[in-house]
Amino acid sequence: MEHALELHGVTKRFGSFTAVADLSLTVPQGCIYGFLGQNGAGKTTAIRMVMSIFHPDAGRISVLGHADAAEVKDRLGYLPEEKGLYKKMKTAEIVAYFGKLKGMDSSTANLRARELLTRYGLGDWLDKKCEAMSKGMGQKVQVLGTIIHEPELVILDEPFSGLDPVNRDLMRDLILDMKRAGRTVIFSTHGMEHAEQLCDYVMMIHKSRLQFAGTLAQIRKGRDHGIQLDYDGDGSVLRQLPGVARLNDNGKSAAIFLQPGQDPQQALRWLVDRVTVRRFDYREPSLHEVFVRTVEEANQKLAAAGQER
Amino acid sequence: MASKTLLVAQREYLENIRTKTFWIGILAFPVLIAISIGAGFVLNKLKETKSYAVVDLSADGLGARIEKQARSADMVALARLLAKNESLTAELAAMREHLGPDLANLQAPGDKKEPPAVPADVQDRLHALLQAMPANDFAAMVKQQQALATAKKFQFRSLQDLGVADLPPAEQQTRLAQQVKAGTLFAYFVVGADATKSLEDFRYVSNNFTDDSVRTWYGAAATRVVQELRIAAAGIPRDVADRLKEEVRFVEKQADATGATKDVTVADKAGSFAPVAFVYLLWIAVFTAAQMLLTNTVEEKSNRIIEVLLSSVSPGQLMAGKIWGIGATGMTLTLSWVLCGLGGLWLASVLIPDADLSVFASVKDPLYLASFVVYFLLGYLLFAAILVGLGSVTNSLKEAQNLLQPVFILLIVPLVSMMFIVQEPNGVVAKVLSYVPLFTPFTMMNRAGGPPEVYEYVITTILLVASVWIAFRLAGKIFRVGVLMTGNPPKLKEIFGWLRHG
Repeated sequence: MEHALELHGVTKRFGSFTAVADLSLTVPQGCIYGFLGQNGAGKTTAIRMVMSIFHPDAGRISVLGHADAAEVKDRLGYLPEEKGLYKKMKTAEIVAYFGKLKGMDSSTANLRARELLTRYGLGDWLDKKCEAMSKGMGQKVQVLGTIIHEPELVILDEPFSGLDPVNRDLMRDLILDMKRAGRTVIFSTHGMEHAEQLCDYVMMIHKSRLQFAGTLAQIRKGRDHGIQLDYDGDGSVLRQLPGVARLNDNGKSAAIFLQPGQDPQQALRWLVDRVTVRRFDYREPSLHEVFVRTVEEANQKLAAAGQER
Repeated sequence: MASKTLLVAQREYLENIRTKTFWIGILAFPVLIAISIGAGFVLNKLKETKSYAVVDLSADGLGARIEKQARSADMVALARLLAKNESLTAELAAMREHLGPDLANLQAPGDKKEPPAVPADVQDRLHALLQAMPANDFAAMVKQQQALATAKKFQFRSLQDLGVADLPPAEQQTRLAQQVKAGTLFAYFVVGADATKSLEDFRYVSNNFTDDSVRTWYGAAATRVVQELRIAAAGIPRDVADRLKEEVRFVEKQADATGATKDVTVADKAGSFAPVAFVYLLWIAVFTAAQMLLTNTVEEKSNRIIEVLLSSVSPGQLMAGKIWGIGATGMTLTLSWVLCGLGGLWLASVLIPDADLSVFASVKDPLYLASFVVYFLLGYLLFAAILVGLGSVTNSLKEAQNLLQPVFILLIVPLVSMMFIVQEPNGVVAKVLSYVPLFTPFTMMNRAGGPPEVYEYVITTILLVASVWIAFRLAGKIFRVGVLMTGNPPKLKEIFGWLRHG
């Protein structure tokens, strides 16, 4: 199967700062692909290069089989992280305008804009100005503007940020709808639960370098299992658990990783005597945990490399 | 590809056109001009009538003669009005009746340019009639009659009226000075004892030093009267005296190619001043549109919509679309103003059929209007490229304003040089400025009265078009990188880097 997106050794520098270093990646068609990474890791720069807003200093990008993304601009949809609308324009107008910029003819764009807005619960807002809308509504309008021309590849930069739970679910449904329609969706996020729920593949960039890429199963494989604990009581005792390697305590729940060879059964026995255990789950680590561990490991590696020098 | 530029331009245009502020802006300019013209008239009308008194120290009633002389302009105008015998009020009709045959000569159809002189005795009789009128009737008449221009401005108060007639002159002056101080009297004059010998004891007493109109007007009349007195005293014959008093007047002519000369008309004079109005208009138009573009770019950058747009259009298309869209807005604005102006002229010609509107002949010259449009476009495009480049590297209007200051200083040059260039359309300053592309549109419009040689038009236009092209290329490179930058504005060195590598 053809890949929706391929990156080979892509590098982007701004002056002496390297934003993306030697990034290689393939995104199969029809999947949902998550881009993970801390703020400033290089996700947005990578996405901007895919959208041919920036040009890479080295490496090569192929989008929908074309070496130059500018050629297929009209088949792409892009929602940037920083989202803005023309305040004075009416919602239906602006969604249609985005469609027209993607090469739709005027009447189709107008019609489809009204239809989309109505379908996603903004029927009352068709002829109201954007400045009157709440942030969540504005974001919905933007997403609709991104997909009005039925793009083959949709790239959403932080689509969930700033949304309330209802609108988050709506955004999730929208992404799933697109997948079902056979489109490829790439989105970047800080919310690991969204990545875990939605993505077929994820990749992670840390300090401009790719840390991992693959299916969720591939990424979790080979990593330590951990204890997911829901509890009531004084969490400070958890640190004293014999054989604990790492602890991530949230107050009501905690992720506990044991040193190699330690028995989770014994840990459970020890815990039951000290806190009220509501749930005890011994399983593969969550994406959240993988993320945090990866950041730590990468930082240690960088520090070590710095000391050697 | 080009259609996307058009889409962007269309959106910019419609967004501007649809706002109320845009239409207010269109209307405000002509309305403000109309108001300022109207206000001038109204203020002039509202000026209070200034009252003055005269203490006459002469033995032969010099004061009365000066007063008569001062009012002669009014009397002449009034006599001509009566002679016309059209729609006179009852009072005026009675006055006409009284003067009867004396006005007959005035009715004779003379040369229109030189209306017949009004004889001194007719003036005197009119003067006497007016003085005999009850004060209230006279005041009412002054209000209605345009002809009595000086009566509207200056009111003579007799000493009887002021209650000081029977006092000795020194006492009179003390009383009048008190009234001046109290503000009931604007000023009083003291006419000297013997004007033929000395003018030393002539005085003007007032506490208002800024408004000199009474003194100037009364002084001119006094000069004429005293001149006559002295001529008579010296025994100079009438004809000699008239020849002595004659002023040298150079008749204004203009030369044409054949070496002949012809009369200078009002339109000719206006033609060489019309450029000033158009340079102003051009300047305001270029400035307004370029400013609009800057605001728009900075706003769009700060509300983050640019990145969405850049996923659909190239930075070049976006920039071009903006520049054309706002250029069209500016053009609409300017043409509306020109139309308002032409409409105003037409209205004026309908309302005041006699008005000499040849002054505005050059405004209606289609070639001149066309060159205005071309120079607006080229001038706008050049400044637009500069401002869009500046706008794209700043994050807020405040930052942009700082960067703009040097541009504003450049823009002042055409305004400062405007009057020089009108006076010397082919002078060194005019010629040099014509070849500086930033000033070409303004200077060439300004020189229209010259007019410049054809080759100058050709070379300056080529230079201007080339600069527009280069400015667009450079601005495009800056725009491409700058428009997505956030944080600190880039240093000059970085911008040069973009220009080299972009």
